Amino acid sequence: MKGLGNKSVQTAVDIERRYDFYRTVLSILIAFFITIILIFSISSVPLKDLFSFLVGPWQSLYRISNIIEKVIPLLFTGAAVCLMFKGGQPNLAVESAFYIGALAGTAVATVQGIPPAIHFLLCAAAGAAAGAVVCGIPAYLGVRFHVMVLVSSMMMNYIVMLTGQYLLQYHMVDPSLGHVASYEYAPSARLPFLFPGTKIHFGLVIGILVIVFTSILMFKTKLGYRARTIGENVSFAKYSGIKVGGTAILIQLMGGAMAGLGGTCETLGINNRFAYGGLTSHGWDGIMLAVIAGNDPKKIPLAALFLAYIRTGADILNRSSSMPTEVVKIIQAIVIALICAKGILSKREYKAIIKNAKADEA
Amino acid sequence: MENISAGEVSREERYVLSMEHITKVYGNGFIANKDITFRVRKGEIHGLVGENGAGKTTLMKVLFGLEVPEEGQVFVDGEAVAIHNPQEALKFGIGLVHQHFMLVESMTVAENMVLGIEPVRGLSFDLKKAVRLTDKISEDYHLPIQATAKVKDLSVGYKQRVELLKMLLRGVKILLLDEPTAVLTPQETKELFVQLKKLKSLGFTIVFISHKLNEIKEICDNITVLRRGRVVNTCAAAEVDEREISRMMVGRDVALAMDKKKAVPKDEILRIEGVSHVNKFGAKVLNHVSFCVRRGEIVGVAGVEGNGQAELAEMICGLLPVQDGDILVKGKSIKGQSIKEIRNQKVSFIHEDRMVFGVSKNQTVAENVISDRFDKPGYYKGPFLTNKKIRRETKELIGEFTIACTGMDAEVKTLSGGNIQKVVAAREYSSAPDLLIASQITRGIDVGATELVRKKLIALRDHLDTGVLLFSADLNEILTVSDSIIVLFGGEIAAYFPDAQAVDEMVLGEYMLGLKKMAPEEMREVYR
Repeated sequence: MKGLGNKSVQTAVDIERRYDFYRTVLSILIAFFITIILIFSISSVPLKDLFSFLVGPWQSLYRISNIIEKVIPLLFTGAAVCLMFKGGQPNLAVESAFYIGALAGTAVATVQGIPPAIHFLLCAAAGAAAGAVVCGIPAYLGVRFHVMVLVSSMMMNYIVMLTGQYLLQYHMVDPSLGHVASYEYAPSARLPFLFPGTKIHFGLVIGILVIVFTSILMFKTKLGYRARTIGENVSFAKYSGIKVGGTAILIQLMGGAMAGLGGTCETLGINNRFAYGGLTSHGWDGIMLAVIAGNDPKKIPLAALFLAYIRTGADILNRSSSMPTEVVKIIQAIVIALICAKGILSKREYKAIIKNAKADEA
Repeated sequence: MENISAGEVSREERYVLSMEHITKVYGNGFIANKDITFRVRKGEIHGLVGENGAGKTTLMKVLFGLEVPEEGQVFVDGEAVAIHNPQEALKFGIGLVHQHFMLVESMTVAENMVLGIEPVRGLSFDLKKAVRLTDKISEDYHLPIQATAKVKDLSVGYKQRVELLKMLLRGVKILLLDEPTAVLTPQETKELFVQLKKLKSLGFTIVFISHKLNEIKEICDNITVLRRGRVVNTCAAAEVDEREISRMMVGRDVALAMDKKKAVPKDEILRIEGVSHVNKFGAKVLNHVSFCVRRGEIVGVAGVEGNGQAELAEMICGLLPVQDGDILVKGKSIKGQSIKEIRNQKVSFIHEDRMVFGVSKNQTVAENVISDRFDKPGYYKGPFLTNKKIRRETKELIGEFTIACTGMDAEVKTLSGGNIQKVVAAREYSSAPDLLIASQITRGIDVGATELVRKKLIALRDHLDTGVLLFSADLNEILTVSDSIIVLFGGEIAAYFPDAQAVDEMVLGEYMLGLKKMAPEEMREVYR
């Protein structure tokens, strides 16, 4: 009992952590390897295409700024998903919360004559509130009527998207345009660009603040502790006297608000009208990133950067080469799927643990 | 290590079963078996003895094909064999009866008997043949059972008999019994021993796993003692006494009795008033139970598991609603109160299901210790947890409860069972409860942890006048820790003993089995 067995158990955890890192690195390498094979087998100028895929994104300031732009909305949805998933609430309505956040922000942003900073804050409040409602409804149904959040939030996405499209087409559309889009945003509502010549907007700062906020919330506060505990073991939480339902609803409201805010920032940052023809996939990306980041918001920026890098490379490849778009999407999917793979190296990891345990024993 | 002195066994006789140099390491780095050599002769009852966590069950799982060892070789009848799954083990004539029964409760005995080897007629299941097979095997071995009875209606002893018969039906020659007596009353244990001796005389070989010394002495020919995954000794059971076995098991002398002052009960703290409970399957598991607990006393609740104890404990905790009757804590009904509200009246709970309710295994020791108090003054400032206080307190508790871990940031899953239970006890005891509902507090944990958890419980009674309601399937625990004892049978109070010192296991056993029941007049004191 004198901690002998325990010492080796602890090192086993260390080994697990180390192998988690190896796994990520290795899966990225494998993914790139498969990508190379794909490019070589399809492209007529493989070296050039490979170059534009891997190095292309870093070749000009414009392209680098492109990566950053893509990162911004993912910070919001990634953080939102980390919070909700860590709390054991698989709420997929982040997807439509992001969309409705953009639409609600638009509704406020098209109003003229509000002073600048205040105008954006009002838009942000509207977007966050709308997002909170969208994620909150399945949350409430889950707690109150035991409706599976996974299913109801999925349905919520359709309801919200179609309602949003209806609102846009019949109530918010600018009839003077040849296509379906809202009225133009008042300049006072727009987010300023951070660097001249790029589309990197102030949403980046807000996004980083959201990441920091979520991280502190999850790991330093009472609410975060409650959320993590119900996420890990709901029976234990109940038995300890933790209010499970209230906590579950609260974190989903907050997650929805973050996603909604993300939608507002995204559209007010880079667009001058609302023109989404449907859901934007930012929520799904957020789920993917949260999986890669192991629900730790601190790791979301890096994961988002990686995703944005691949996407930018794929965009360049798409525009500059003969490679069909489908192949580009396949490459993306392979990279992401591999990163999420937990089984890679597991045998080696197991052997390392055993070897370590025996060495410890001797 | 060779020990051939056990009676009629001759040197020429081969081992029917031998496991040579078995090493098994689990995925978390825990070495459950280390170079174990275990040999069994034909027709003997061989005791595999050791504390919980010594590696007995793992060794049996290796033998039954449930675990694959990293090193070592198994021989059956002198031939090297590789056993990858239970089907292969059965093929070699090896059968394991698990500690927890693997039976489908809603099906009949006959249906359970033939699971996996169902007789068919045409395309449909042949129930009649299943019944015939069951009846035949039960007659052959003189182990009577009613083939058409539903398993859920059987007593624990009979369920175990079904497990035994299942193995016999599959032609097993070597029976591995994993702590078969853990769930039995003394009377049922006696009967099991009669059955086992009968099987032995028919030429069966039996591996009997236990940590109960008197049983091992009574039934085993030879014993192998394991400690921390290694073999300490193999010898004839007749050659060693209980004290020696216990020393081999633990590695030191253990005090088998609890040192305890007489209780000084104070005012009443818990009153159960005519409580009944119908579970979700519609069965009445508690029927008009009334009793009370006073501060400064430990009331033990004995009973075969499934006689309403779990439901009663969960009701007092607020995990189950009070349907009929009432439960009063400090004179106030807990009906409609949340778990938090009950806990706020200085009530603590130790749930019998440690890994589900007792801890959150992926969270740290510190996070597990504060789950009941993180929202109490001092533990937070505004929305933030006050790390400093939490860490100081956790550190103190790790020291006080001698929790073996790499630190307060170790995830609970990296701890051993005994240490996990110490984490639970550290939390529930340190909240200075006025009332403690403690269920199965030492189930499956090692002797050292058992001693500590029990001692601290008695200390709560002595120093804080905590009233304790102790549920336990371990009769020894009930008898040594409690001040007074209630026996539950069939959801009713079958007996009440105001003085635990004046009772013995056999007497408790009779009430636990429903062979006897006290008249209400005899138990008037239980409900003052």
